[in-house]
Amino acid sequence: MASPPTKQMILQLYHATLKTSKTFSSYNFRNYFVDRTKDVFRDIQKENDPARLTTMYGDAVKELTVLRRSAILNQIYGGWKLAVEETPKKPEDILQRGDT
Amino acid sequence: MQATTPMDPRVVDAMMPYMVDQYGNPHSRTHAYGWEAEMAVEEARKNIADLIGADSKDIIFTSGATESNNMIIKGVARFHKDKKKHIITTQTEHKCVLDSCRKLSEEGFDITYLPVQQNGVVDLDVLEAAIRPDTALVSIMAVNNETGVVQPIKEIGAVVRKHRGVYFHTDAAQAAGKIPVDVNEMNIDLMSLSAHKIYGPKGVGAAYVRRRPRVRLEPIISGGGQERGLRSGTLATPLFVGMGEAARIAKLEMQRDYAHVTRLSQLLLTKINSQVENVVRNGHAEGYPGCVNLSFSYVEGESLLMALKDIALSSGSACTSASLEPSYVLRALGAAEDMAHSSLRFGMGRFTTEAEVDFVCEHIIKTVTRLREMSPLWEMVQEGIDINSIDWSQAQH
Repeated sequence: MASPPTKQMILQLYHATLKTSKTFSSYNFRNYFVDRTKDVFRDIQKENDPARLTTMYGDAVKELTVLRRSAILNQIYGGWKLAVEETPKKPEDILQRGDT
Repeated sequence: MQATTPMDPRVVDAMMPYMVDQYGNPHSRTHAYGWEAEMAVEEARKNIADLIGADSKDIIFTSGATESNNMIIKGVARFHKDKKKHIITTQTEHKCVLDSCRKLSEEGFDITYLPVQQNGVVDLDVLEAAIRPDTALVSIMAVNNETGVVQPIKEIGAVVRKHRGVYFHTDAAQAAGKIPVDVNEMNIDLMSLSAHKIYGPKGVGAAYVRRRPRVRLEPIISGGGQERGLRSGTLATPLFVGMGEAARIAKLEMQRDYAHVTRLSQLLLTKINSQVENVVRNGHAEGYPGCVNLSFSYVEGESLLMALKDIALSSGSACTSASLEPSYVLRALGAAEDMAHSSLRFGMGRFTTEAEVDFVCEHIIKTVTRLREMSPLWEMVQEGIDINSIDWSQAQH
């Protein structure tokens, strides 16, 4: 059986996953994967059972490869800016159809 | 979310190989391309089966929940037509169930449309009383697509199981992957599933058809005998793989997703209720939290839609569809015509953010306040006039 990942390995993977998550162009996916990465690694951090930890780490490694590909695809096709992303969040500041 | 969902990027990634390189037909048994595709389809089938606690051989791929519903309702009824002539469903079912039943009634079947209680839930005693010796099928949806009402499927399954020869079908397009569903624990014989409600691709769904004890149905589509002869036609490998991956992720993420939409729907309700009065929530408050259906009294429904439609479009946010027709589902719940007219359905899902909910709330509050300021009805209500006491026909002259 593979030996459990070291603290440093986990930290590296966390940073790589977080960085990849932030490169999604689409607002919703970007936010989701950033939040989820934090949750997943918080769980990994809490895990004490070495066997469980190895599986969780393995899953996270696999997921990073998926995320990397998905993020590239999303940069190519995705990311039209939503009104909710604009800085002035007040409704009256947002142009509606018919406004000039 | 219940209108539709965006495809999860992880689902797209799983589908890509089958659109780029692996174009084999899963039914070609003579070469490796075919085997690869077959393996992928079977893995997808297993993931879907696992989501609902079924055996993977019981899963039939279709083009979506509408096809599954048609196939099951018409198929079971027509197979047993010599001995059985009766089908039970509810008034709040999805259109494709109601319309399949209407078609069957033209063919001479007797259909009972059960009423629902004011909270949208079926009364089990009423259901049991409606079952007859010649009943072939009971079809009741698990989660309502307009109100989020969750039916007591386990209890309904137990009632139907008591009657030998009556099959229980549930349209679980809105339930599977969002709340726990188990075909054995709930005594479900047939089930319809959809991929695009669980962050999978559009144009694909599945039917669960129990093999032990065997449920027999007459196929609608004839041909090469694929999918146990129930749904002929070349399998759409990329779509099935996508649905399988969506099901796998849905099972893994169910708890997290549920907690997320619960938090969002509480945020939405508290925010709107704190600033707008006379808001009625349609359906059982204990329903699926990802679907919130609200009626805004004294606001003309169509104007509300017009004002909000642009916003939903421009923000691409969580606020989803509402039809101009007063909803038959809401009327079945006993909602007055005007309330059914001014209802809005909010769908929240895995990818909805708190900022979006805040954004939509601000717009709703602003729009409803503005429309009420313009409304003569609202003015009368403020002055303490009971709207229902007015005889409108005289005012026309």
